[in-house]
Amino acid sequence: MPNADPRLVDQAIQWMIKLRFNTADDASTAAFEQWLHTSAAHQLAWQRVATMNDDFTQLPAHVSRHALDGARQRISRREGLKLLGLLAGAAGLAWLGRDYTPLPALMADYRTATGERRWVALNDGSKVQLNSASAIDITLNAERRLVNLRQGEVLVNTGADNRPFWVHTRDGYLRTLGTRFVVREEAQGTLLAVQQGAVAVYADSHDASARQMIKPGEQVLFNRSGIRPSPTNGLDPWAWSDGVISAHNMRLDDFLAELGRYRNGLLRCSEAVAGLRVSGTYQLEDTDQVLKLVAQSLSINVTYRSPYWVTVSARV
Amino acid sequence: MSSDHPLDHAAIGQLYQAHHSWLRGWLSRRTGCREHAADLAQETFVRLLNARKQQTLQQPRAYLSSIARSLMIDQYRRRELERAYLESLAHFPQVEVPSEETRLLILDSLARIDRLLDQLKPRVREAFLLAQLDGLTCAQIALRLGVSKATVERDLSKALHACYRLRYAEC
Repeated sequence: MPNADPRLVDQAIQWMIKLRFNTADDASTAAFEQWLHTSAAHQLAWQRVATMNDDFTQLPAHVSRHALDGARQRISRREGLKLLGLLAGAAGLAWLGRDYTPLPALMADYRTATGERRWVALNDGSKVQLNSASAIDITLNAERRLVNLRQGEVLVNTGADNRPFWVHTRDGYLRTLGTRFVVREEAQGTLLAVQQGAVAVYADSHDASARQMIKPGEQVLFNRSGIRPSPTNGLDPWAWSDGVISAHNMRLDDFLAELGRYRNGLLRCSEAVAGLRVSGTYQLEDTDQVLKLVAQSLSINVTYRSPYWVTVSARV
Repeated sequence: MSSDHPLDHAAIGQLYQAHHSWLRGWLSRRTGCREHAADLAQETFVRLLNARKQQTLQQPRAYLSSIARSLMIDQYRRRELERAYLESLAHFPQVEVPSEETRLLILDSLARIDRLLDQLKPRVREAFLLAQLDGLTCAQIALRLGVSKATVERDLSKALHACYRLRYAEC
């Protein structure tokens, strides 16, 4: 493809602004016609500048604006998790001339896709299981063992070792020696549930309650305003580790929000059915099948507008 | 930059032999999926075939992993964009749900625009969207943003130049 003269490209851009983004009068239209017919190079420059607008002409304005803003917000929320150690990645990108901010989860040592689970064995004998759409970094050195939770949820089984085992999340630190626990990021903070041993929580907060020892059977949520007990919503926090979702008298909207973590696209329910209760254990392997079974037991409708957009509502 | 020339194919062949399986491993650890990693590794070399680079690579693995990283980020952004788009559709119930094919076309356009917007300063971005999506004139945008019309025209010029670079510089 021939290269357009940069000076002419600049002129073409100025014309574009004058004609398309201003109210053009006859005089300027005539002047533009004259400019355009100066040479073939002028026409090439104009043609290239004019076709740049193709992307916009076919887009529905409101939806597009909403989507673009939405995507930026989603991405910058995650950038709030920005951590050290990303600078190398940033340099690599800048060098490629791409203006993207590196995203922590993508730079992580280990990562799972949506719907995937995975065990990672550490060489101290500890094992960490990543739930769907999760990411971690691991640092082992002479003084400590550290798992950095960048996104999602992990189950930790610490091995016998004298070094303290730390987990860093966006809301603070957890410290332990020998235990089994799960940690997950939630919208309001980090959720911790302990099964064995004990875990010390150091929330990233100045509140007096920011340090606590959490014992087996306990479940807490911590964030910048401290640590507080987190009553169960009916979900068995350990079930995913075995590849199932297990609910006891759980609200349907909560259940669907949880199920939505294991599939792409949107999963919504109408107000009318949100408060229905779900009990049972379902295989996460096939989330469509789970929806089908739940719909049968509650006598509700599941509508697929596309595989990415599923709505659950009352049966008409 | 006419002095640039692509790496020749033999050099890429050597790179492929020496680093392809390393790259696949690297990607596999990060994506957590072997098949996905294989696709991305392949895609990385395709990108390399099209890339312009003047001299031989000093640190091929650093270079390859930075391409691979940007591919992962592209995919990540695209996924976020897709989710945001679906949410937007749900938000405007009067808008008809597009066919799968139209949806992909719209997402392609949105992805290109998103990449562009990422390079613009907030005011420039806003002015550009008001002009392109909402169809406002420079005078209307000036009023809306509380700046002069000349400023709006300068902002739009910046945005269009960035648009041009993105669209044509990589050819």
